[in-house]
This record gives sequence, structure tokens and C-alpha cells, in this order.
Amino acid sequence: MEHSPVTTNPLIIMMINMTVVFIVLVVLMYLIKLIHFIDPTKEPEVKEASEEEEPLVAVKSATASAPEPAPVVEEGIKPEVIAAITAAIAAYGFAGQVKAVHIINHEGTPWRAAAKFNNNLQRK
Amino acid sequence: MEALNAFSVSLQAVWNDSGFSAFTVGNGIMIVVGLVLLYMAFVKEFEPLLLGPIAFGCILANFPNTGFFGEEMNVMKAINYGITYEIFPPLIFLGIGAMTDFSPLLARPSTLLLGAAAQIGVFVALGGAMLVGFNVHEAAAIGIIGGADGPTSIYLSTKLAPHLLGAIAVAAYSYMSLVPMIQPPIMKLMTTQAEREIVMKDLRKVTKFELIVFPIVATIFISLLLPPIAALLGCLMLGNLFRESGVTDRLSDTAQNALINIVTIFLGTGTGMTMNAESFLRADTLLIIGLGLVAFMGGTAGGLIFGKIMCRLTGGAINPLIGSAGVSAVPMAARVSQLVGMKSKPGNYLLMHAMGPNVAGVIGTAVAAGTMLAMLK
Repeated sequence: MEHSPVTTNPLIIMMINMTVVFIVLVVLMYLIKLIHFIDPTKEPEVKEASEEEEPLVAVKSATASAPEPAPVVEEGIKPEVIAAITAAIAAYGFAGQVKAVHIINHEGTPWRAAAKFNNNLQRK
Repeated sequence: MEALNAFSVSLQAVWNDSGFSAFTVGNGIMIVVGLVLLYMAFVKEFEPLLLGPIAFGCILANFPNTGFFGEEMNVMKAINYGITYEIFPPLIFLGIGAMTDFSPLLARPSTLLLGAAAQIGVFVALGGAMLVGFNVHEAAAIGIIGGADGPTSIYLSTKLAPHLLGAIAVAAYSYMSLVPMIQPPIMKLMTTQAEREIVMKDLRKVTKFELIVFPIVATIFISLLLPPIAALLGCLMLGNLFRESGVTDRLSDTAQNALINIVTIFLGTGTGMTMNAESFLRADTLLIIGLGLVAFMGGTAGGLIFGKIMCRLTGGAINPLIGSAGVSAVPMAARVSQLVGMKSKPGNYLLMHAMGPNVAGVIGTAVAAGTMLAMLK
């Protein structure tokens, strides 16, 4: 059922509405915190960190007592391979568009990957 | 001679029934407006998915004698019912919910405040609209453009000012598509280089329990408090439950693809059909477009100001740029935060942090609409 507006004063409407929006979203914020608090599936955060540190120390001491030379591993892709890939891309007709070839680091969260993807799209 | 007479009468009847006989200058102007919008949608790619159908609906609405809104039922009338009876906006929200990842918001719930602060544009425009002579219902419908949320704008204007629906929808979707142009200058103006360079800490991992419980709890709380928006919020959260439950993949897939695409076509075309010459070619339309821009800029500024406050309060842990994502143009506003942050400091990824306020903005705009409906309807 329709009824006449409570008030037609713009300032009062603005104040009331902003207050309600803030109150609702603040309550929602605390509800999210409550959900996290009662979550039975969450992993214990503080304990895990302290437990993880101990074995690291043990490994360090073990390596300190019996040091072994690390195996020599060549990192990254050989420059010759990169040159070959670049030449192949250029041969497909993208010679003017290839400015640099570099290895993309796949570490990080999916969101970080999405951000990188977004940046690449914008560059195009 | 008789045959010639019959031919002449038939020709006269065809002419009288044709659109040409009742075509007005206003219709012509509106068809040109529709063509300009089509150009913006398909050539300039400004929100083509929605602006395209709106533009074509606008052209269709300006053909006289079509009987689209006459006594007899037809497809255009049925589509119009979907808007008049507020069926399409909640269905769009169902699809948006199925596409939305709430985890950035759940990992950092304080970003809800940025979504709330960005609603200030809504209320600034509301005040401005009343000052220039719109009544309180019209002003509320115009103000919601500042939320940068198309379905909510359509939902509210259908309820409060249906005669302004066309202008409000066009303004809302135009500004949403112009987010990458409107927001960056305001962001640069209101933040310092040092603030823009702030690198935020990675978000914690959100559990499946949180992802499933949140939409249920939020629906119960908001629907009880603001029943007028229960359909909007309920559909948003139901769509999200489809996504997160892990056992309703088919429903989630339908909601975020087939359903939202079908409803988008109907919503866009139906909105465009409201843009006939009589209701659109008025000075009010220009005022609405101007006020919409004020609302949008005000929302961006409000989010940034609160972002700066949060930056100070947290000792520099929050990059204020994510505040501008509090307007709910998802995910465009978050992308703009990411881009401006990246330009200030390469390697600074703000996208995941900006998605929190961005999603909060969707909820905030719906809450603002619900509050205004509760007060004014």
C-alpha cells in the first residue's frame, strides 16, 4: 500500500539514508566476522606458523652439521631457445609486434593472474 | 474504372495504416538518438550487451502505428510487462550472483565500508535533483544512477518514477561504460603518489563454509530489514549459492550464461521501448543525464575519501584507490583501480583488493534503493 513520503527535505533524506546504508553494511561486516569466527573448517593460523618454524630450524641445523654441495642446475630457458621461439613468432607475421620475450612468473593467487591478464588486455 | 477506384482506396488505406502517415519530427530525432546509441554500443563498444538492445528498442519505440502498447497482447507488450512488474532486474541479479566471487569481500570485510561510502553520490544527486525541481520520488530514482548499478536503477525508477525510466537507464548504462574515463582523473586528483603506490597485503584464504553461509545469512538479514529489495538481494545471493555450493553446476551455468543473456536482451529492448519521443524529448532528460554524472563522480569521490580515511586508520595498509571501486560497476570499477595502481607502481596488483568494495557497492546500492523505497513508497 502506498503512503505519502515521511519527509521531503533532501538533507534529512540524505542523512537518514546514508546512516541506514552504513548501519546495514557495518552489521553485515560483523556478520562476516562472526561466520569466520564460528567456521568449523578454518585452519588454525597462529599454531601453524609456530609449528612450521620448528622443522625449518631442524633442517637448518642438520645441513649446518653436514654441508653438501648443492647440485648445479641451470635456471631458466636457454637464450638459444628464446631466440628460436621469437624467430618462429616473427615468421608467422608478427615481426612488428614482438618487442620483448620474457618468462611469465606463474606464482601467486588466481586474482593476481587475473590482474596480470587485465593489464595485458589494456595494453592491447 | 472500378478497378482503379479500388486500387486508389487500397493505396489510401495502406498509407493511413503505415507509420509514415503519423511520423513526427520527434520520432525522427529519437530514431537518430537510437542510431547514435547503436554506434556507441557496437562501434565504440560502450556496454554493447545492454546499450545495443536499448538502442534498438528506442528505434522500434518510435515507429507509429505498431500497436506495441495497444489492447492486444504481443511480444513487445510482454517484454514491457517484465519491466513494469519488476521481473527482469532480479533475474539479472541472479546471473550476477552466479558470476560474483565474494571471497575478496569475506577475506577483508572492512571493505564493506567503502561500498557504503561510495553511495554518497546517490544522495548528493538526490539533493541536487530536488533543488532543480524534481519531486522526491523522481529525485530518488535519478540519484540511484550514482550507484552505477543498471538493474537497481531500473528497479527503483520503475517503482518511483516510471516515466523517467528510459532517461535513467540510458544515463546509468552510459556512465557505467564510461567508468574508465570518468574515474581516473578523480582518483589522481584525490590521492597522492605515495598513497597510490601502497602495496596491500595478500588476502587470506576463504573457506567454503564462509562462501556458502554468507549469502544465506545476508539474505535473511537484509530481507527482514528491507523487504522491498528482498527480490533483488535474494536473487543475487541465490545465484551466488548456485556457484559456491559445488553441487549445482548446471544451475550456476544457466544463471550466469543462458538466463542472464536472455534476460539482458529483454531488459535492454524493453528499456529502449520506453524511449518514445513524447517521454524522452524533454529538458528533464538533459538534467537527468547531468545529475547522473554528478552522482557518479560523487560516488567515486566518496569512496576515495573513505579509502583515505581507512588508509590513515590502518597505518597505510589500505591503498585508497580501491575506494573508487565502491561504486558497483562490476568488475569495471575494480579494473580501473587496478590500472591506476599499476600505472603508479608497476607490479602493484590491486584487482583482488578492489573486488571487495566493488561487490560491497552492489549490496550498498541495493540497500540504498531499499531504504528509499521504504521511506518514499
